[in-house]
Amino acid sequence: MRLFPVSLLLLSALTAFPAGLAAQELHWFDSYDAALEEARRTGKPIFLEYRCSP
Amino acid sequence: MSEYVTARIIRLDEVDFGLFDWDRHNTVYFFVLNADEQIYLRYGGRDARSFDSYLGLESLELALEKGLELHEKYKAGELPKKPRGAPDFAKDYPLLVERTIGNGACVECHLVNDYKAQHKELDGTLDKVRDMYRSPDIRTIGIHLDAPKGLLVASAEGMAQAAGMQPGDTITALEGVPVYTFGDLQYNYDKVDRAARSATFTVDRAGESVDLAVELPLRWWLTNLDFRHWTIEPRVYFESDPLTAEEKRSLDLPEDGFASRVRLVEGVAGLLGLHELKVGDIVYGVAGVQTDPDANSAELYLKLRTKSGSETTLQVLRDGERIEMPLKSARMGFRK
Repeated sequence: MRLFPVSLLLLSALTAFPAGLAAQELHWFDSYDAALEEARRTGKPIFLEYRCSP
Repeated sequence: MSEYVTARIIRLDEVDFGLFDWDRHNTVYFFVLNADEQIYLRYGGRDARSFDSYLGLESLELALEKGLELHEKYKAGELPKKPRGAPDFAKDYPLLVERTIGNGACVECHLVNDYKAQHKELDGTLDKVRDMYRSPDIRTIGIHLDAPKGLLVASAEGMAQAAGMQPGDTITALEGVPVYTFGDLQYNYDKVDRAARSATFTVDRAGESVDLAVELPLRWWLTNLDFRHWTIEPRVYFESDPLTAEEKRSLDLPEDGFASRVRLVEGVAGLLGLHELKVGDIVYGVAGVQTDPDANSAELYLKLRTKSGSETTLQVLRDGERIEMPLKSARMGFRK
């Protein structure tokens, strides 16, 4: 049994297509360290999501 | 979004909660930070009504834009570095290791909250007013946000209105700490000392910064806990309403006591043999105690001052007669 199954589905949509942006392909790192490394390489900030399950 | 490195973490085994600190009874939670692990802002937060009372695409886009703006300021050296909290990992909590990590199960957000609270209970440091009543509701002090617009005040009533908060204000800081999102506001509001009697909200009003000292009422921290499924919360399966001062006087009960009249008894109380309270009973004491600085009802006293799963004795007025009644609370074992 999942704690918040419906909400997870809704929030999945939320983070997939932020308003004003095209539904473009985004790469979501599943490793925090890898995201940090990519941020260092590109100079970009990190948008980090914590959630129970995909 | 393409201007960000995006990451999604679904297991908390390796997360340093000393850096990523949040109320883990949220469904999802987001941070905007940089490669130096400086957190610019949070996006998330919920209330007892719903997981998404303050979430939505419009406010997310505002947060993302603000994150980029803060990133530019950081690169320009215009943002001070924030100190990092002491390291704090899931593996530091033996109950979590024994029951979750050791079983190969997922270290989920709510489990971290729950086991941390259980460890505080075990080592005697649990302060339920602070640790169980997490993330107080800003509506209690009369702040109603236009949630899609982030921290824009839609309406103010009660204590917020009395302090001068107005519709159209945008909250920009709490107790001097800048806030950019509802997640920031709720996180910092949760940090306010539960004994505090006021908190300073800074608002932007037509370009002018205005400090508002909002008086905090008694039990400003009190929230509905139902969605949290705390192990540490004694489940008593009755609800009661505080007696008025006049009612207490007429019954020869202390005016500052937590005597309350039972309004609802759930069937599960009888099924589990927890107590034999009836609607209309007045519970005026618990194990001989009738007053408490934080509790204004018998069930709040039980939640705050007794351990879940423990037994005690109630002092009850039933049909004008004073009786003693045993009570045992239930201890939740939700998805452990």
